[in-house]
Amino acid sequence: MFETRRLSSKIILQVLLTIMVLPFLFPLIAMVQESLAGQGWDNYRVVWDTGVVPEFFRNSAIIAAGVIIIVYCLTMLAAYGFSKLHIRFREVYFWMMLAALTLPEVVLLTPLFSTATSLGLYNTYDSVILPLAALQIPFAVLLTRNFVNGIPDDLFDAARVDGANAAVIFWRIILPLTRPIAAAIIVLTLIGAWNDYLLPLVFLQSPSTQTITLLPSFFISEFSDDQTKVVASAVITAIPEIIAYLCLQRLFERGLTAGALK
Amino acid sequence: MSSAGAGTTISLARQPDAAAGRAAPKGRRRGPRRPPGLPWILPAFVFVVGFIYYCIGYTGYISTLNWDGVSPNPQHVGFANYTQAFHDPVFWDTIRHTVIFFVVTFTVQTAIGFTFAALLHSRIKLPNLYKVIIFVPVVLAPATMAPIFRQIFSANGQFNAILSDIGLGSLAHPWLAQSSTALPVIMAITVWQWTGVTFILYFAAMTQIDKEILEAARIDGANGFRVLTRIVWPSVRGTTIALAMLSVIGALKTFDVPYLVTLGGPNYATEFLGTFIYRISIPTAEVGYGAALSILLLILALCGALAFGLRGTRRN
Repeated sequence: MFETRRLSSKIILQVLLTIMVLPFLFPLIAMVQESLAGQGWDNYRVVWDTGVVPEFFRNSAIIAAGVIIIVYCLTMLAAYGFSKLHIRFREVYFWMMLAALTLPEVVLLTPLFSTATSLGLYNTYDSVILPLAALQIPFAVLLTRNFVNGIPDDLFDAARVDGANAAVIFWRIILPLTRPIAAAIIVLTLIGAWNDYLLPLVFLQSPSTQTITLLPSFFISEFSDDQTKVVASAVITAIPEIIAYLCLQRLFERGLTAGALK
Repeated sequence: MSSAGAGTTISLARQPDAAAGRAAPKGRRRGPRRPPGLPWILPAFVFVVGFIYYCIGYTGYISTLNWDGVSPNPQHVGFANYTQAFHDPVFWDTIRHTVIFFVVTFTVQTAIGFTFAALLHSRIKLPNLYKVIIFVPVVLAPATMAPIFRQIFSANGQFNAILSDIGLGSLAHPWLAQSSTALPVIMAITVWQWTGVTFILYFAAMTQIDKEILEAARIDGANGFRVLTRIVWPSVRGTTIALAMLSVIGALKTFDVPYLVTLGGPNYATEFLGTFIYRISIPTAEVGYGAALSILLLILALCGALAFGLRGTRRN
């Protein structure tokens, strides 16, 4: 956007960018620094030796996997229906689903709480997986429907002329061709499910079901005043997320921009 | 403002497609008749709409009760809970905080995100390094980062240390313990967390601007700043409106950061609708009142989305 033919202007832009990026780097550096304060690497050993960290990770992984499976299956079916099949009042159904995009989680608390308690789902993975999936599906359907709209109708007409029914078309055309958007949806759903705090806070009460977003609170009660241990536990939970992002950088960024561009 | 929030960005950009979808039946006459699609959308529709509308209906019902969440005989009070909300100074505080929060975070994120995107489109060395640094906060859970921010902004934290290092030691004070500075800190944390999304969307939008227009402007003697304000900024207007809508809903959904960093305090200085509803419904167990506040929040979120959604549609 800026012309950078002269060396001086190149250097100015580079310096400007570097200064602007420092505040973004600062909390990460402060985080590592703080986690090594006091007893140094022993902070990490003490946190790890409590043995609960892998358990919290496992719970987060199970919940994220559950949400991803539900979101992926229901979204693919719905996107095909909305985009390429005949539905009367299609847009009415569609906008009824989209309205859910504006819904803050906190609005669901009381009804979910009493429903989960009466169904015996309180403190189970399901009590978090089901609401999370319901909240993620509308956006996933929105993205996938638009992606499927881009697949030419002729392809479907030709398949139908050749005798393929809707199920065959779904299996042979929709699923393979939607892989790029499916990857974006899986990444978005993963971030949403993995980072969610409110639902686990309310519905998961024992360390055997709690997710990594609750780990700092767990260590705050465990180590009371020793802030360094709490921060060390935060670093431990942040590292896998950063590694996952670095490995799948393209996918993460495409996931976010998927709907904004054609 | 989690990934579902990021989603709302898109619904605007989608408007033309939705229109195309409505026009589709015309094309249907050409090929063989389309099979019925209702069975295909039904699982997702029943799951989402059933679930969410059931919850909203239930919340609406509870909002007319005076109930602690456990007693078997809740008392019907009509709209008393809503009247209570309108007379509750904390409710108006949360509204005020939400508005300030939206205006400030949206403006700052737009300014920083747009500048980053423009700079990274300018043949900078090591572009990917900068991109990663700006974007990493987006993937980190607010819940994970909260203890670190509490530490950084505490009386003997790193932020005060830096201030005294650069000679501004006189400004140092316990940022989170003072009503006047707690809200700005919450906003700063939010900006840190979400500017990556703003940046990525602007960056993507800028790749779609016709290079020849930029070149022509330069030949006509426009400098970098003029090109940015006269050509680039208007061309990414769709993204800006989408981000505004995302920010409105994000501001109304705000929960994690104020709850974990300041617990809505000190003295309600960082109370948002989310933290307020949580506190009323769960620890205080005034479930009926919490439900009434939830319904008000829902109405505000729908109005916010609609206001920006309609603007986006008209522009398109």
